[in-house]
Amino acid sequence: MEALQIILAGSLVAIACGLLGCFLILRKMAMVGDAISHAVLPGIVLAFLFTGSRDSVTMLIGAGAIGILTTFLIEFFHKKGRLQTDASIGVTFTWLFAVGVILISVFAGKVDLDQDCVLYGEIAYVPLDLWITDSGQIMGPRVLYITGTVLIILIAFISLGYKELFLTTFDPAYASAIGISTAVWHYLLMGAVSLTTVASFESVGAILVVALLIAPPATAYLLTENLKKMLLITSLLGVVISAVGYYLAAWFDGSIAGAMASVAGLLFMLAFLLSPTNGLIAKHRRKKAILKPSGV
Amino acid sequence: MDYRITKWLILGVIVISGCGKVAKENSENAHFNIVTTTGMIGDAVTNIVGDSADVIALMGPGVDPHLYKATQGDLQKLTGADLIFYNGLHLEGKMGEVLEKLSHLKPVVAVAQNIEDTKLRKVPEFNNNYDPHIWFDVSLWIEAVREIDITLQKQDKRNAAYYHKNAMNYIKQLESLHAWVIQRVGTIPKEQRTLITAHDAFGYFGEAYDIEVKGLQGISTLSEYGLRDVSVLAKFIVDHKIKAVFVETSVSQKSINAVVQGAQERGFEVSIGGNLYSDAMGEEGTPEGTYIGMVTANVNTIVEALK
Repeated sequence: MEALQIILAGSLVAIACGLLGCFLILRKMAMVGDAISHAVLPGIVLAFLFTGSRDSVTMLIGAGAIGILTTFLIEFFHKKGRLQTDASIGVTFTWLFAVGVILISVFAGKVDLDQDCVLYGEIAYVPLDLWITDSGQIMGPRVLYITGTVLIILIAFISLGYKELFLTTFDPAYASAIGISTAVWHYLLMGAVSLTTVASFESVGAILVVALLIAPPATAYLLTENLKKMLLITSLLGVVISAVGYYLAAWFDGSIAGAMASVAGLLFMLAFLLSPTNGLIAKHRRKKAILKPSGV
Repeated sequence: MDYRITKWLILGVIVISGCGKVAKENSENAHFNIVTTTGMIGDAVTNIVGDSADVIALMGPGVDPHLYKATQGDLQKLTGADLIFYNGLHLEGKMGEVLEKLSHLKPVVAVAQNIEDTKLRKVPEFNNNYDPHIWFDVSLWIEAVREIDITLQKQDKRNAAYYHKNAMNYIKQLESLHAWVIQRVGTIPKEQRTLITAHDAFGYFGEAYDIEVKGLQGISTLSEYGLRDVSVLAKFIVDHKIKAVFVETSVSQKSINAVVQGAQERGFEVSIGGNLYSDAMGEEGTPEGTYIGMVTANVNTIVEALK
């Protein structure tokens, strides 16, 4: 039962992160998840300074607000400052993280306060972290409800806005020409990214989220050139990573998040070598075939 | 076709996860299973239960409880436990929140839960936030041990008398340890009694044993020290002719080295007095691998360097 709950939580997070990751990769914004994981620091410090409490809900609200601000600033600097997205991401999150460090050392140096101890969850505790109603009813693992809800919202968002997301990603000029606002859809997508990443940090920890946001979509990218197929392959990879990673961790009694992230990396390497279209081996063969045309 | 793949995958997951269940069936033996978070709690419980229960401490030697990362096996240990002890007061961070919830399903006890607020060190400006490092004051730790004793008697009635006898013995040892620390620290001349460490964990020690404590960093590992902190502390050392500063087994030495250099630039030699055990005990099997050994080692290191 515990195994199933952990694998399910891992799969839900992996699919949610992977679906968004596909768009992020295609828009050259893959590092935005990593950026948010650092940038939320001032959010949790401010939430603590205002409420004096370190419980999950308070931290989640603070982190969520700053997460949205982060993605907003990234896009703002990119658009208005004509800065490349990677530079814009770099400037934004280092600055916000620095503000957080200063806030801690000035106001809260005597309190143990950082993402690791108040925000990031641990996937191993999913079966223990129960949702208990006020009347004492035990509803099962809390994380499954949170990640499940996030995934449903996300799937609704992507299926309703698929055409717009597709066009603004691949051909922004054409999208504008037919009246789709690239800015609005970009902010919507980024809002979804900060909601998903912050909720996932709180549920399963940061390493896993950052890895799942990039590795499965990157793997799928090597296997197909069709966006719908890419989204589907990413989701399947998410489930495989979660299941294989869990049993790998069980086998050598290690960190579950670490094992899942490693499996994600391994699958990427496999696709990199063996992909029928973009794989190293396939490319090598093709080169040979061109050099030595058949029949010669 | 894609639908078929999904179906097989889900089926596969269910089949594989079913396999994991076999291993758990053999927990039927009569032994009472106790899991603790820190080694200090584990040591106290071991002293009380002797051989009549199994005790597992999740955090091993040298592990910083604030940054502890769980393994897959920890989950099994927690779900298989009959009784779980943790420190509380936010020492375990988010893990503490999870354990609190688990208390709806099985006995889970924070050893600090019944210590009076007035005995705890409040964080200035932030009510309801306390310094969790209670084991530095042996008399406070005795209260934690009493809590463990009461809980054990309630949870494992068959061995209640045996547990209580052991607990009383252990508390007696701790009481003489407390007296010994007071006497030992008292041999340091009053004006030399300043304990300078890298991070601010020794607050209870300072209050209980009348020694001024100064930390370069706050409790959080992210509250980085500023240049001014270093120079203020270096000036303090020179002005008060402090003989030694200390490093901790679980915190980097770099910050305290900066202070030593700062004092040198002002023409004063301050030595590094040695390693103190702060958030975790020493290696298992060594004298420092027990709570009493750890306190003894810390006090000897401090007294020898400052006297």
